[in-house]
Amino acid sequence: MFTRIFNNIIGKKKALRAGELKLTRSDLEFAEGMRRKMHSVFGRSARIRQVDAGSCNACEWECTAMGNPVYDSQRFGVDFVASPRHADIILVTGPVSLGMVLALKKTYLATPGPKLVIACGDCSKDGGIYRGSYAVTDGAAEIVPVDSYIPGCPPTPRDILAGISRTIDAFIK
Amino acid sequence: MNPANEIHKKLTEGEFREEAAMLFDNGNPLMLMFCVDEREIGGGFTVYAVFSLKGEDLFMVLSFPVTEKSGRFAYKSITPLVPAAHWYEREIRDMFGIEPLGHPDPRPLVLHGMYPDNLHPLRRDVTVEQIRSRIDLEREDNYNFVKVEGEGVCEIPVGPVHAGIIEPGHFRFSAVGESIYFLDPRLFYTHKGVEKHFERIGFERGAALAERVSGCSSFAHSTAYCLAVERMAGVEIPEKAKAIRTLLLELERIYNHIGDIGNMCAGTGFAVGYQSGALIKEKLMRLNASLTGSRYLRGVNALGGVSRDVLEKADEILFTLDEVTTEYKDFMELLTGSVSHMERLDGAGVLSMDIARKLGATGIAARGSGINQDMRTVHKHLMYDSVVFEAHSRGKGDVLARMMVRADEAECSFSIIESILKEPYPGPLAAGIKGFPALSSALGYVEGPRGSVFYFVKTNDKGEPLRVKVRSASFCNWPLMPFAVRGNIIPDFPLVNKSFNLSYSGSDM
Ligand code: SF4
Repeated sequence: MFTRIFNNIIGKKKALRAGELKLTRSDLEFAEGMRRKMHSVFGRSARIRQVDAGSCNACEWECTAMGNPVYDSQRFGVDFVASPRHADIILVTGPVSLGMVLALKKTYLATPGPKLVIACGDCSKDGGIYRGSYAVTDGAAEIVPVDSYIPGCPPTPRDILAGISRTIDAFIK
Repeated sequence: MNPANEIHKKLTEGEFREEAAMLFDNGNPLMLMFCVDEREIGGGFTVYAVFSLKGEDLFMVLSFPVTEKSGRFAYKSITPLVPAAHWYEREIRDMFGIEPLGHPDPRPLVLHGMYPDNLHPLRRDVTVEQIRSRIDLEREDNYNFVKVEGEGVCEIPVGPVHAGIIEPGHFRFSAVGESIYFLDPRLFYTHKGVEKHFERIGFERGAALAERVSGCSSFAHSTAYCLAVERMAGVEIPEKAKAIRTLLLELERIYNHIGDIGNMCAGTGFAVGYQSGALIKEKLMRLNASLTGSRYLRGVNALGGVSRDVLEKADEILFTLDEVTTEYKDFMELLTGSVSHMERLDGAGVLSMDIARKLGATGIAARGSGINQDMRTVHKHLMYDSVVFEAHSRGKGDVLARMMVRADEAECSFSIIESILKEPYPGPLAAGIKGFPALSSALGYVEGPRGSVFYFVKTNDKGEPLRVKVRSASFCNWPLMPFAVRGNIIPDFPLVNKSFNLSYSGSDM
């Protein structure tokens, strides 16, 4: 499989069939841009603490997929860390169920500044499909200051990466 | 009128106890138990218990009205007779304020400290505004964790936010040295009030909500939901819709099983195995996206059938699966050939068949412990009556057994998909549904990747949802965890946990 991806990049063959793992030129350009940006802004890497605030878990799986060999976000320094103390970015998923309000607040406070908060997924923006239920808030911004949103239900790993990149752009300005 | 495979019995409290105990003792598993607030349709609070009759495609639905004594609703708990009822009864207590007298565990289950006492969200006369106005986010959750005392016992609290990218839940370990003596989990941090939300948004939008009960079982949940509503409305879905649903259910199973087998490698620190699994999973997710527009197979299920003709891309499915099969074989060879990996799996996290049966285990958890129960063979739904396959189980109940059940099932799913794609399915994608009959109910069920998923829907006198009960596989399997990890070393907990791969969101709802 690795050889196939490799040949595909080198040989610039026509895109393989859908469902096949393929990297396009834009993927590669994106990756290079991302790497440079990380280098200049965070001095090599941005560490993310992901907080599941009542998500349906699809958003988490897409975050996990960012680490697989296809996206391999670590190569441009985007990685998930175990402790908020090590994090530059907090990535919140879910509509913030009431049970997670306190944990989200604590995680935010435990993260050293300067820090960015990204709300990932439609339901983290305004409750999404759960909006109006008694057990959720109207989105992450009610609990912590949110710097940017990544739409999608769930956003794909590529969307999340692009969202992180956008957030950093806005931060530089 | 109830669907043909449901036998409904309206009983008194005493008869209910007796009948439930008898059914359970005779080896008929309890599939779900719930309460319905029927006061607005001239009834009271009614408790239902659904048993699957052994070896037959029949459900025994027992129910009894809860009687009121001086403003309090209570009945005699059936947990001492039917242990599998223990979480259901605690759930009913939280959500309806009905006390199961004599229940061995008096602690709340679903509602945490911030929810007001004496306000029970699923009572029909309790409004969202009422609940919201009485929520106190500052109030602490005084959960009474089991305290183990003795020399050398040390308590380790973990969570709700964990180290990895996983869902939140709190685990209280009581350890002696390195071994786990007792584990007391506190879950329901991600409780989103989904069941009440179903009642509010109406049947049509329900499919989208069902897809978001548990991310990795999106298709299983939406299928079970649609089947429940369709059965209630007396609608027979077209063959083509059946074929597509079966196919996508199997695709969901494959990506989950292979992903889970890979994830277990993370529990043993076997990075190559982990990434190989992740790579195959990614391929399958991309296939999902190409077929349905969603990596999680969302947006396909609709009441009455499906909205996309996935079968048009049969070639692509076969092409990808062909590749995946080869890679999967290499992958399994890699894992089974790695002594250090297999050593860790062998004998870890043993769940005995007796405990699994008593606590009502389902899916992989049950089949890994020798209980050969699979909704696809016992209660044949969709196309499962025409495809030939058998349920797989292993007897040892350890992590390895659960991995091998997954491996067997994944292979089986490949062949199910192939046999579905051999036949042509002319005809429409969906049948029309003309309204929802008043005062009707039905069960809907599928075998999802983690085990059986059940929905129960009931309408009021206007044909609007009176109750939508969701029962995910994880709700049945979470209570098994303390038994499976007992005596294991703490570093093996993530591994055992991954071998069950339970959904928090699916159980917390
Ligand atoms: S945005 Fe969608 S996928 Fe993500 S957590 Fe919310 S409901 Fe789930």
